[in-house]
Amino acid sequence: MTTTMSAEMTLTHAATAASQAGSYLWLIPFLPFFGFLINGLSGRKLRNTAIVDTLALGSVGLAFLLTIWHFIQLAGLPAEGRSIHQSLWTWFSIGGAHVLGGLTTAKFEWAYKFDVLSGCMALLVSGAGFLIHLFSTGYMAEERNDGRYYRFMAYLNLFVFSMLNLVLGANILMMFLGWEGVGLCSYLLIGFYFDKEFAAVAGKKAFVTNRIGDFGFMIGFFLIFQVFGTLDYDTLMGSVRGIATMPAITLYGHTASPTWWFNLIGCCLFVGAMGKSAQIPLYVWLPDAMAGPTPVSALIHAATMVTSGLYMITRLNFIYVNAPVALAVVLAFGSLTAFVAATMGLAQYDIKKVLAYSTVSQLGFMFMGMGAGAFSAGMFHVFTHAFFKASLFLGSGAVIAACHHEQDMRNMGGLRKLMPITSLSMIAATFAIAGIFPFSGFFSKDEILWKVFEGWYQHGHYTGPTLNLVAWILGMLGAFCTAFYMTRLIAMTFYGNYRGAGDDPWGLSVQSEAHHGHDDHGHGDHAHVAHAPEVPGHPENHAHELGKAHDHHVDDPEDHDFVPGHHPHEVSWRMWLPVAILAGLAVVGGFLNYPESLHRILPIVPAELFSKWIEPILYQAAPVHHGEHVPPAIEYGLMAWATFIWAPGAMILAWWIYKVDPSWGRAKAFVARFPNLYRWVNAKYYVDEFYEAALIEPIKRFSAQLWSFDTWVVDGMVNGAARMTVLWAELSHWVDEYLVDGTVDLVEYMVQETSQVFRSVQSGRVQHYAFVMFLGFLVIAFWKFLV
Amino acid sequence: MFTANTTLMLVATFLPLLGALVLLLVPKDQRRVFEIGSLLVMIVSFLMSVVFWFGYDRASDAVQWAQAWNWIPAIGVKFSVGMDGISLLLWLLTTFIGPIAIACSFSSITERHKEYYIWMLVLQTAMLGVFITQDMFLFYLFWEVMLVPMYFLIAIWGGPQKLYAAIKLFLYTLAGGVLMLVAILAIYFLQHKTTGVYDFSLASFQAMAPVIAQQTKTYQVLLALAFFIGFAIKVPMFPFHTWLPDAHVQAPTAGSVILAAILLKMGTYGFVRFLLPILPTATKELLPWFIGLSLIGIIYGALVAMIQKDMKKLVAYSSVSHLGICMLGLFALNPYGIKGGLFQMINHGISTSGLFLAVGIVYERRHTRMIADFGGLSKSMPVYATIFMIMTMSSLGLPLLNGFIGEGVVLMGAFQAFPWAAVVATLGIILGAAYLLWMYQRVMFGPITAVNEKMDDLNLREVLYFAPLVVTAFWIGMYPKPIMDVMDAPVKKLVEQITPGYHAAQSLAAQQAVAAKLGMQGMTAPAHHEETAPAGHEAATAGHEAPVHEAAAPETHGHGGGH
Repeated sequence: MTTTMSAEMTLTHAATAASQAGSYLWLIPFLPFFGFLINGLSGRKLRNTAIVDTLALGSVGLAFLLTIWHFIQLAGLPAEGRSIHQSLWTWFSIGGAHVLGGLTTAKFEWAYKFDVLSGCMALLVSGAGFLIHLFSTGYMAEERNDGRYYRFMAYLNLFVFSMLNLVLGANILMMFLGWEGVGLCSYLLIGFYFDKEFAAVAGKKAFVTNRIGDFGFMIGFFLIFQVFGTLDYDTLMGSVRGIATMPAITLYGHTASPTWWFNLIGCCLFVGAMGKSAQIPLYVWLPDAMAGPTPVSALIHAATMVTSGLYMITRLNFIYVNAPVALAVVLAFGSLTAFVAATMGLAQYDIKKVLAYSTVSQLGFMFMGMGAGAFSAGMFHVFTHAFFKASLFLGSGAVIAACHHEQDMRNMGGLRKLMPITSLSMIAATFAIAGIFPFSGFFSKDEILWKVFEGWYQHGHYTGPTLNLVAWILGMLGAFCTAFYMTRLIAMTFYGNYRGAGDDPWGLSVQSEAHHGHDDHGHGDHAHVAHAPEVPGHPENHAHELGKAHDHHVDDPEDHDFVPGHHPHEVSWRMWLPVAILAGLAVVGGFLNYPESLHRILPIVPAELFSKWIEPILYQAAPVHHGEHVPPAIEYGLMAWATFIWAPGAMILAWWIYKVDPSWGRAKAFVARFPNLYRWVNAKYYVDEFYEAALIEPIKRFSAQLWSFDTWVVDGMVNGAARMTVLWAELSHWVDEYLVDGTVDLVEYMVQETSQVFRSVQSGRVQHYAFVMFLGFLVIAFWKFLV
Repeated sequence: MFTANTTLMLVATFLPLLGALVLLLVPKDQRRVFEIGSLLVMIVSFLMSVVFWFGYDRASDAVQWAQAWNWIPAIGVKFSVGMDGISLLLWLLTTFIGPIAIACSFSSITERHKEYYIWMLVLQTAMLGVFITQDMFLFYLFWEVMLVPMYFLIAIWGGPQKLYAAIKLFLYTLAGGVLMLVAILAIYFLQHKTTGVYDFSLASFQAMAPVIAQQTKTYQVLLALAFFIGFAIKVPMFPFHTWLPDAHVQAPTAGSVILAAILLKMGTYGFVRFLLPILPTATKELLPWFIGLSLIGIIYGALVAMIQKDMKKLVAYSSVSHLGICMLGLFALNPYGIKGGLFQMINHGISTSGLFLAVGIVYERRHTRMIADFGGLSKSMPVYATIFMIMTMSSLGLPLLNGFIGEGVVLMGAFQAFPWAAVVATLGIILGAAYLLWMYQRVMFGPITAVNEKMDDLNLREVLYFAPLVVTAFWIGMYPKPIMDVMDAPVKKLVEQITPGYHAAQSLAAQQAVAAKLGMQGMTAPAHHEETAPAGHEAATAGHEAPVHEAAAPETHGHGGGH
């Protein structure tokens, strides 16, 4: 196993692989895998969940340290050779593939590639993964006693393994391996409380929706294989310029420009990204995925897995740079998602649902960046978003746990004093996501919007200028909504009175949905509301419930949230520490990509560290030339507008509606004024219902029709043939009985009857014979005489 | 004795039959003897067969361990045996499934043990025989003999409609077999006409390909259709599949396992062994129809599976879908497709057996297979849930498990030849996820009922017979290369038989090596044309300049790009 720089790499990495020792790259993904194996196989037997913790956290923590170590090594390499490659074994290799350049033997290796992009992603996955593992040890405390805990931690480890495979894999097939692996983990973790019907359904929905995306992804990489004859990143990157500059590409008898083919590939791959990264129209699984435990939402559905579509596009940017139409498609869908999902977040009351739509919308922003050709800006938003969104999700998890699994923000409020660390962290993260200077979101989101705008201004060659303008407007509106709903969330959750305990002068709290199946915690006591009051009388039947940490839960859950004195309190350090760390990163993380323009007037940190860092893997269509640029005044102006007026305006508006007036009278008035608008937004534009009616039901109906076709026609023909045979057999039998046999019988009868006559003729008397002879003679003579 | 040679091959093949003869002498109340005895026989046969895995010469595409004895010299029938990589893999699959099928019967078979285990052993020999024979007459013999034990297994130990299902299976496949016999005899007499000898050997049949290609089109098409229908019934391909759900649903668990894992593979094996190499021209003639039926099978099987209420029927229809993928691969007629198709045969043998076993487990405990009767089993049966999950994932083609390798390679192969067919097949894979996960959700997740709460998790015996399947599923998923290597040379030969000169085209490898070296540096744009670019750039550009002129070349090789 060896460490080589990409410059020295050949297709036969494997040949030299075993000769040198020293690279522990493979351990980064495999450590969590071992954690998964040990916990998964023996966890059920382990009574002591501390061992499970050690294994789960230890493996991810070590992986994180190893990632840092590799990252430091990577930084020491010259910029154009920043890639550490390790081949473990040949997955499979098949000869005789007819591709564009002729016949090739494609060798798919189980190989890892730690380079500028995957290194960053690995840091994020293992780092955030570790923090979220730590959070889970606190959050899942109630599961420690009922034998499900090990399963949760094992799944989390498996997820980290898959995700690291996705980002570290050295070819598209390895990415696909991770891609499907994270899908599986997502499925398992969303459905963690599988005894809840809705959790199981949500898990399946996530998996199947992702599969629809995978369809595009697979077609996309099949096409890449047809064009390039390989799926190995290094080979792809090395040969793309040659192919992109070919005059025409002929495949399947269709001749078109390389751009045409690259557009096709780019669009197909984007369908895959849509599925994984929850873009319109395939985003529907993500809000439902909130049925999983909150750490899962933070890790998988905010920080890491959902960004894999972005990672894929950045990784294969050389396709997209050469595919203007595909980029335009990405930009269009990205901006649409950024805006539409943000509006959906405006009217949600479930704290996790707000964050879920926020995630969808933020992912849209990232795709906007990609679509504008600003891959580093989009990628940077992946990181800052991971910080603030993970912090927000974990914070919401802490809030939910503190409020006894209440997720409806109408039943929260006033938590700022009760949970100071959590609330402070979440408020900081809110500033970040709203894009207030100098929090991280400002640097990333503003950069994206700026690039989109710049594309319009320049009459750039990627897209028509109008699309960029429309996208920019949608993005700005989305940013406004983002700042609004996040402030709304903060105001509803952390300010005012704690309504959960009945201190609710304006009647804002509602019947807790936690008891009607929207609870993300699958407690038996919630599930069996009906017989919960009997519990004290039948302790033996519910021993497993009584053993839980929250014993008081078994009192009547209909009103337990309203019992005065049940005030939430700050969660344990295992939970607030990750929230605080991530919030801290969300505050300062933006300086990693300090804009050039700001650097000119305020050089406090080096400019564009991140952009420069990942530049080596970004395809340059042409040498960078400093030509036409937007006048700096516009750039500064827009920047100031966004961060000093636009976002704060939205925040103040939300503050004014939800905090200044604690009865939310203005919001209610608005709803009363525009009931239909509210209804549509609140119902998420009925997209799910539309899919159900337009897609799922017809397929089911069609299946049912096919099934009757199968029974009546296809099988009917077989059975019909059998019946025909039987009929024929019966006919034959009849024929046999009456015709064939009848004939025989008839002949026999006739013979018998005739012989009867002749028998009497054959008398044995000579005179008789002589008489007959004479008669015969007479007859003949008569005949002769006549004729 | 334990070196891979013809003798050991024959011993491993006929050992089950021998075991059956010995068991015949045992009094019929000795249940344990039959169980353990037949299990031991199967295991020994499997262990013997493993020797061949190691002894197989992967570089050669010849039939290995070949030997022939005169049997009926008057009509040219020989007892001719031997294996190449393709038959070896299926042969190994058979010996591998054998012990599992026996072990899963211990508790599910409650009557007439003696006959049951004897029939199982006879069936095993018949199936093994199909894969080692190199003589068409012998092949036909084994092919038909196989039906007899299967008939009894279903008709005696089956479900409520066992007789209907057994007779349907028997007659339907017999009809196909007879069509195949007609085709065999037609070629046999044609061969006599051209060469003057009577010879049933497979090699001589394959050598007839050029002669057949000169016959009239009608003749060729009819021959191909006769073979096609014969094999398509066995596979089964749409619309010849209706015997399958009935047989599967009525058969005892072990019967379903063998049916799915091995018997269906006879059909696909027949395509690989006979139709493709003997009638390549006619196959290409009929290819659109064949591909069409494969695609219909994929989508149709998946959709019909989706709404099944009976778990076993669902898995049965999923077989139709999976084997459609397998057939699509074979009909892609290129190395990727055929290798993927072969892989899909093995994978289907593993995953679908696993699913049938899993269904059998709950059937034994509850005596129902209706999805609606279950729910929340994950709670009472965690080990079972895990194994069922692995098998489900393997069946729906999750990477890291076996199913992905087969499906992925088939689709890559199909995509090289018929991109639209590959697109449709990929849609079928989405449906695969839908119906399998939906079943899993309804059976394993959700609230649990009181009856299901009492269900026992797997016992040691059950875990033990699932274990080999799970291990193999992971092994193939993570490191399929050894299996690929075994089929490499024979597939190459087969592709050459179908499309002579297929492998003659120039290789890309050298250019790709240069590109791989260049790697990330290919991303930076060359500064200016007049400036000297780094050496690697020129190499890469030059490397890809060459194929530009040859770009049309692949199309002329007749791999069907234009279809």
